[in-house]
Amino acid sequence: MSSKNWPVLLLLSVVSLPLLIMCGYAVIDAFSDTAPGSLVPTRFTLEHFRFLWEPVAEARGSIWVATGNTFVFATTSALVVTTVSLTAGYALSRLNFPARGFFLAGLIVLHAFPTITLIIAIFLILQMLGLYDTLIGVIVVKTALELPLGIWIMKGFYDTVPWEIEMAGVQDGASRATVWWHLVLPQVRPGLMALILFSFLSGWSEYILPQVLAPGSDARVLSTYLSSLILDDTKADFNLFKAVGLFYAAPVVVIYLLFQKHLMNIYGGGTKG
Amino acid sequence: MRNVNWLGLAFLSPALVMVTLFFLLPVVLTGFFAFTNMSTATGVTGGEYLLNSASLRRLQNEGLPQEVLAKLEAGGYRVDAAGLAALAEATTPATAQELEQLHGAAEFSDRRDMERALKDLLDNRIRRTRDRKEAAELFKRSILNERFATEAAFRAALSETGTRTAYAEQITTAAYTGWVWTTKNVELLFALPSTLRYAANTTLYVTLTLAFNVGFGLFLAITTFYLPKGQGAAFRAIWFLPRILPPVLYVLMWRWFTWDTGFLATVTGYFGISPKNWMLDTSYHAWTVVVLINGFVGASMGMIIFSSAIRAIPTSMLHASEVDGASRWQQVRWIILPQLAWPILFITCYQTLSLLTSFEYILLATDGGPGRATEVWSLAAYHTALNNYGGNLEYGLGAAFALVLVVIGIAASLIYFRLFNFKRLITKPLIEG
Amino acid sequence: MQLDLINFTKRFGDTTVIEDMSLSVSSGEMIALLGPSGCGKSTTLFAICGIHRIDQGQLMFGGKDVAHLPSQSRNVGVVFQNYALYPHMTVAENIAFPLKVQKMNRTDREAMVRRYAELVHIEALLERRPAQLSGGQQQRVALARALVRQPDFLLLDEPLANLDAKLRLEMRSEIRRLQQETGLTAILVTHDQVEAMSMCDRIALMNGGRIVQYDTPTSMYERPENDFVASFLGNPPISFVSGAGLGQSEARVARYGIRPEGFGPQFGSALSGRVTFVETQGREDLFDVSLTNGEVLRSIQPAGSGIRPGATVQWGVAQDKLLRFDQDGRRL
Repeated sequence: MSSKNWPVLLLLSVVSLPLLIMCGYAVIDAFSDTAPGSLVPTRFTLEHFRFLWEPVAEARGSIWVATGNTFVFATTSALVVTTVSLTAGYALSRLNFPARGFFLAGLIVLHAFPTITLIIAIFLILQMLGLYDTLIGVIVVKTALELPLGIWIMKGFYDTVPWEIEMAGVQDGASRATVWWHLVLPQVRPGLMALILFSFLSGWSEYILPQVLAPGSDARVLSTYLSSLILDDTKADFNLFKAVGLFYAAPVVVIYLLFQKHLMNIYGGGTKG
Repeated sequence: MRNVNWLGLAFLSPALVMVTLFFLLPVVLTGFFAFTNMSTATGVTGGEYLLNSASLRRLQNEGLPQEVLAKLEAGGYRVDAAGLAALAEATTPATAQELEQLHGAAEFSDRRDMERALKDLLDNRIRRTRDRKEAAELFKRSILNERFATEAAFRAALSETGTRTAYAEQITTAAYTGWVWTTKNVELLFALPSTLRYAANTTLYVTLTLAFNVGFGLFLAITTFYLPKGQGAAFRAIWFLPRILPPVLYVLMWRWFTWDTGFLATVTGYFGISPKNWMLDTSYHAWTVVVLINGFVGASMGMIIFSSAIRAIPTSMLHASEVDGASRWQQVRWIILPQLAWPILFITCYQTLSLLTSFEYILLATDGGPGRATEVWSLAAYHTALNNYGGNLEYGLGAAFALVLVVIGIAASLIYFRLFNFKRLITKPLIEG
Repeated sequence: MQLDLINFTKRFGDTTVIEDMSLSVSSGEMIALLGPSGCGKSTTLFAICGIHRIDQGQLMFGGKDVAHLPSQSRNVGVVFQNYALYPHMTVAENIAFPLKVQKMNRTDREAMVRRYAELVHIEALLERRPAQLSGGQQQRVALARALVRQPDFLLLDEPLANLDAKLRLEMRSEIRRLQQETGLTAILVTHDQVEAMSMCDRIALMNGGRIVQYDTPTSMYERPENDFVASFLGNPPISFVSGAGLGQSEARVARYGIRPEGFGPQFGSALSGRVTFVETQGREDLFDVSLTNGEVLRSIQPAGSGIRPGATVQWGVAQDKLLRFDQDGRRL
């Protein structure tokens, strides 16, 4: 079998080349200097990472503020999405309540619904609520928009827990709430983990929402920091951009490498894009 | 029994509140905003009442009689307490007192009459023409350029100018600076030639990208399936990167790859081609890059779903076909592809909707350029309402753009709901409690 | 404790699964709910333990109506088909869970766990997790967990279905032993007639959401209410023939039922037929005999007769074991 594989391997390598070059040079350029008109780096340097200890553009402020904001943004929205999905997913998967079918159908429709079309209305709502240009506002919006998908994913995990475990719990005299907490939750722990990571990455990478809803410098996150850096510069300093980009993407790549299997499940299961 | 019902609702309620506030409400409000003229100028909350030269011009265009306009513009002179106090300040209290005695509460429609009144004061005559002019100005009572917080205040001031009530309605409307309901956005949407252009761009974008996503996703899934496990996994991991990397960084890498100081320009430079921006120099290049940027991301999703669908094919089936003497290509064509019909349909439906509405990558890459070559519908909505160089953000018009997408989104979601028979997912809980 | 199910009706949406069913189980008795799949036996079990709501009728535990009580307050121990052990807990924690819910203190809990682990012979496995146990061991843990809270009733839902043949025999007697030792009133749901007959005092045979017959195994086998009961019990199954095939006719009798042990050379030679199939079971041989009119009778005989397929035989039927059924399938 393997002897016949070289044409496929070659073909795949060739089509993957642009992507590999982009990723490779993202790392190379961040750590080195290259003469204009050449692709061969001339010297190793950490100078492109100067943004870590000095502001690179006056208006941008410190990267650490943006990093802190991004972390708060991603963590909070991930935790809230997961917590709320944890109960709502269970209710939709397992509990009896009025209009359950309606909510379930609504969830299915919502999770396929393109949220980005709502951005204009959300922008206006935030202005009316006075949450425009605040980190809180972006977090709330991000969380709400991510929820249908989170609930859907969590419901999927709950659906795989055998009913008998729950029946046994009820027969053992436990209330439904106890059954959920002591018997069902431990079964969905891997799913819980995956959902937290997934929503964290989603928040970490988010660009449009902070860009539109919190363009000010107080609520700046890394994505808007990097994009405004790129837009502002008259002469593109790609080495600097790539260094910032690497700094920005490092947690993403680390999480991806560590939890690839968990994440592939969710990404394959029906995200947007 | 009862408390299980409550537990279900209690478990659901946090999600319900959030989804209603920032999901359902925006859907409904998009519909409302689309029928307003909200913009940076009108603000999003209420407005004031203000007549200025611009609103007068508008009224003139609307056919308001010239004499009414002149009256609004000219205004009149009234000897009232406020004017007298100002006069006392500017000249002497005695002057003001005398004017009050002679002409208290008098009204003059002409400035010359007002000035004459000032000139004809017996004891405190204002001699210099310039001073008289200035003093007369203190009594000028015009509605022009004066801000009124409420409609009632404006109407009161309007009636004082002596404008006939027949025109009051029209003038009040013109003076309102806040947003109002209007169907103009929708009309504009049908009238503007650029609308058609955006629609065509969107169709092109969705079609090309979708074809690339499905085609390339299939290619990746099938080729990596035939590779040894480690190699296949490595390529899948590489092709998962476009999806996992933050969009800003991912597009930054593309910019470097295609811009005039970047990779393509440098490599072609070796062959003597002068460096240029390969992304933005022609609209063909821009389209190619836009499709590839989105396509790489979409293909990775296709790759994952197709890969797991291929792995779900019983290996005995593949072995059997090999025993039957099928070539690789025949195996793909007759065994694998038929099994992928359903996942392909799923990806197509799913991505049609999300491509139709997403603009993040285009915004970051070409921002609709060069010119408006790659401006798609959703990006146009964004530019109209949230970010343009003109400065006046037209929320209402942008919402009208978005409303079209929201309607398509709802319709498509409902169709998919039926198509994929999601009803069967709605099973009853087994514990009835 | 005595259990009475009175005029019980269960619907799922528009379909009525069980209609107007009544069932009494005496204190200390073990009965089987037996029937083909889809007959409503599991639904009945779930209704008794409270997982399914009782749409109509009463459920009396020791004379008290519990139909409207939730599962948690019915005090019923259940063993599920796949045992439903909690995978994240050790065996000891599994058994202790019902007591923990009752907020029993730790030392009492541990004593109880130990006692019941000894009762079901798993005291050596207490620290293991369910995934590390064999099917039979899991079964024992499930039993201990159901028993530890000293329930009023023990319900068993196809408890042996997931075990291999040898373990099934072992657990059959083990469950019966536990039931008798604890003196619990027990209900066993099964589709296996051998299980029902060997383990239970009485069998309620269900079909189409109704109890067709409720009786001891012996009298149900010997005196089935109708042809469904006759055909469901007995392995190898009963054969039905018309009067013409049997060469006799009686008023109102539409057909006769003959069990394999009631047809053979020892009962005379009134019928002639051709052997169409022989199945050797070791101790016994099973024959299919095609009568002259084409109807087939089954016979079971001690091995070693040497009769081969194609042979013609002259055998008779045991008249005292002959079952007579009327037009509607009722036994006369």
